[in-house]
Amino acid sequence: MFPTALIRSSTVNAAEIAHFSRLSALWWDEHGEFSFLHKMNPVRMQFIREKLLEVAYDEQPENAVDPTKAGILHGLDVLDVGCGGGLLSESLTRLGARTTGIDASESNIAIARHHASLDPRLSQSLSYKHTPAESLLAEPKRYDVVCSMEVLEHVDNPALFLSTCAELLKPSGHLFLSTISRTPLAYLLTIFLAEKVLGKVADGTHTYSKYIKPSELIEFFTKYRSPSQDSRPWITRLYGGVPTRTEAEVRGLIFNPLQMGWMLAPKGAWGATECNYIFWTRKPALENVLNSMAQR
Amino acid sequence: MLSSKSSRFAINSCRNSSRRVLTRKYFSTTHEECDVVIVGGGPAGLALASALGSKHSLRESLKVALVEAGDLSKVQNWVPADGTYSNRVVSLTNASQAFLNDIGSWSHIEMDRTAPIEEMQVWDGISDARIEFSAAEMSLSNPGQGMARLTEVLNLQRALLRHLELMPHVEVIDKTKVMGISPESVDGGWPLVQLENGRVLRSRLLVGADGLNSPVRSFAKIPTYGWAYDTHAIVATMFHSAKNPYHGPNTTAFQRFLPTGPIAFLPLSSTASSLVWSTKPDLAAALKNVEPSVLARMINAAFRLPEVSMRYLHDRIREAHQAGTPITDAEIKSEIQWREQSHSIGSNSAYSSAPFDMSEELLGIPPDGSELLPSLVTSIQPGTVASFPLRYNHTETYIGEGEGSRTVLVGDAAHTIHPLAGQGLNLGLGDVECLARVIQSAVLRGGDIGSYTSLLPYSRERYLENHKIMSACDKLHKLYSMSFGPVVSARSVGLEVLNEFDSIKAAFMMTAGSSPRVQRENGSLGGDLRSTAFNVAAKGVEGLTATAGVVQAMRGGLAGLAVNGLHSLLTAISSSQVKK
Ligand SMILES: Cc1cc2nc3c(=O)[nH]c(=O)nc-3n(C[C@H](O)[C@H](O)[C@H](O)COP(=O)(O)OP(=O)(O)OC[C@H]3O[C@@H](n4cnc5c(N)ncnc54)[C@H](O)[C@@H]3O)c2cc1C
Repeated sequence: MFPTALIRSSTVNAAEIAHFSRLSALWWDEHGEFSFLHKMNPVRMQFIREKLLEVAYDEQPENAVDPTKAGILHGLDVLDVGCGGGLLSESLTRLGARTTGIDASESNIAIARHHASLDPRLSQSLSYKHTPAESLLAEPKRYDVVCSMEVLEHVDNPALFLSTCAELLKPSGHLFLSTISRTPLAYLLTIFLAEKVLGKVADGTHTYSKYIKPSELIEFFTKYRSPSQDSRPWITRLYGGVPTRTEAEVRGLIFNPLQMGWMLAPKGAWGATECNYIFWTRKPALENVLNSMAQR
Repeated sequence: MLSSKSSRFAINSCRNSSRRVLTRKYFSTTHEECDVVIVGGGPAGLALASALGSKHSLRESLKVALVEAGDLSKVQNWVPADGTYSNRVVSLTNASQAFLNDIGSWSHIEMDRTAPIEEMQVWDGISDARIEFSAAEMSLSNPGQGMARLTEVLNLQRALLRHLELMPHVEVIDKTKVMGISPESVDGGWPLVQLENGRVLRSRLLVGADGLNSPVRSFAKIPTYGWAYDTHAIVATMFHSAKNPYHGPNTTAFQRFLPTGPIAFLPLSSTASSLVWSTKPDLAAALKNVEPSVLARMINAAFRLPEVSMRYLHDRIREAHQAGTPITDAEIKSEIQWREQSHSIGSNSAYSSAPFDMSEELLGIPPDGSELLPSLVTSIQPGTVASFPLRYNHTETYIGEGEGSRTVLVGDAAHTIHPLAGQGLNLGLGDVECLARVIQSAVLRGGDIGSYTSLLPYSRERYLENHKIMSACDKLHKLYSMSFGPVVSARSVGLEVLNEFDSIKAAFMMTAGSSPRVQRENGSLGGDLRSTAFNVAAKGVEGLTATAGVVQAMRGGLAGLAVNGLHSLLTAISSSQVKK
């Protein structure tokens, strides 16, 4: 065990450390209240990884990123909106990103900072800020990737939230969102079972009316144009309601009760997006702006 | 040379974090940051270090260090005298070889010192019921490679060390004991591994590849359950004449199940083979104490004489040992001759040990049935006779939790079994292959490889798989080590039934992992195939006991022995074992 003298000699208030450690233990207890998030995290990361590799390959098949390499986010600025205890932020950083995690809860940020401080590989390129996403718009910095996982279903004005995320991206930047669809199945699993019956998730965590369907997200981005760019909408074409894979993609996240684990549903799997799903879309490139200006 | 390697890479391999102390909140001792610390430089630990070091995708993401108490330079510089063999030999299944080949270690094996097993002869010492396996019957892509390959543990370890020498990014710290492991006092802290030389390694993931008495397992407070078999295994390197040309090369492994335990004859070259003789501890002690020629005669007898005579010879050896006057060569020779006569084994029978005392080799057509027996042992390589106590051990879990978080066990640290199926290290290498794959997949998703979530797929895949094979070996040991009449005759009938069913036999062979693993990268398919085959095989063992019961009941030989009679007998015996 560590001599207590060492702890006392540090600059941080010992009572504070104890307090954050206790909360941190909750966020980072892989068997506890957040266990489902721990299990879901690798699957979300798998989707992010596969999608970015796919895009890189589509754009430059000849010198695409080595798919066996870990550091595929190397050199990219990544924003994690609603980072909580930092589960996703840490993973993004390990793949090479310069990550900024933001959260509206001050204690979440303290927990995330405490946990990251234990890992020497994170200290260089992971930083946390206690701020709402909207305040970042005032800063000049824009991001290559913006992620917001399990947040959308908690915000009061989803349209405003989505446009904020969209505006924080650089042109050609990637937006990843994961959330819960508004279906009877989702109500049954995430509210009725998880909160009311099993008590796995604290009662009142979710509000059914705030759930957003994949089709609603898609519809939003078929209309949405970046005000700063006056470009085309992010999604220009739909085939039977489905966007092309170069503009947007929706994949189901399915919980397998036998394995007590999550899996990423195959592309286009029927019914897979009835509950938890992950969504990707991409801000148009600058040349699209030029093109659309030339057309006028 | 290794030690110079250690000191050369000591500084750059694990980042020394003393200069980071200002940015780190809670620590100010000098410790080195490592992503993976492997404790134990046995075959399992070295294979894991090689597997992790050989993956390009992991090089930038992982700093790996391996700590071993022993002197590995002795292993790396091992140069055996021509024609001699180390007494520690393992049969590596094709799956294990394929894994070692994939990571690039297999090419460092001195192949001339290894031998394929193309056929197996396994029989019951009491009833003589016999099963035969051959690589030719198995739909192997390359039957010539045999169903497994006998390899000296030193040859394997040396190959792994040679491979590791090409990976300066993996630090091998030998001649250094792990003195203690403690968790950091902050919540979510990492294990601190204290080395004998004063270094402290702070490890994201701590791997216990530290064998049966695993210090890592004790640190992580992972409970382990098992029992000592009342059995020791004698090992030795045996010399014999080359096989008669009628029988072809020395590529058959022989194993006879005596009530005292199985004796195995494992080919190394045309004139050398390795012995693994599991027997009662007092007999093992006595046999280790006799002249080498007495041991050679006893080995020959143990494969040839009826069980009743073996019992007699055992008693003679035991008594002489207890009296402090080990039995002499002349005494054992006349005892065996007398026994052979009383069983009417003529001097030109395959079962005769007479050629042992002939100065010239027997030429011409070999006697009938000699292909069912190993060559007569003519001498024992000096200094190779040793014995090991045998245990069954399986930990409750492979992943540490709570204060023992960020620890994982592989190889003998997690499980030890009876060597009767030659599976111990193969299970360990299966662990290593899986763990390396699981670590890689976590790294590619940005996971923290020390976290429970990242490690869980490892224990999911390995625990049950190991358990099934372990309990089948355990059952086999118990089934065969009984000389209780009804059990024996049931057993022989069962074995013959087994011999009839090619499918069961094939499944049995697959459990030895002989078929090269399918689609290792995607894991699941190969795993499923293997475990399905295993289920069939496991049922084979159960079936053997059940069928035997039916036959017995039909004969009316034993009223009480119903269909499940033998099984419940076995269960009763296993549960009466003293649990540790
Ligand atoms: C008679 C016999 C026959 C066998 N035949 C076969 C066979 O045919 N096929 C097969 O697959 N298996 C066989 N086995 C089993 C096989 O030998 C073992 O499974 C294998 O050797 C285990 O390897 P390991 O690396 O897990 O552990 P070990 O070889 O036990 O290595 C553990 C290492 O950890 C080191 N260590 C321990 N504590 C510390 C510490 N505090 N600090 C630093 N280092 C430490 C030790 O020095 C040791 O080098 C047989 C076993 C026996 C006894």
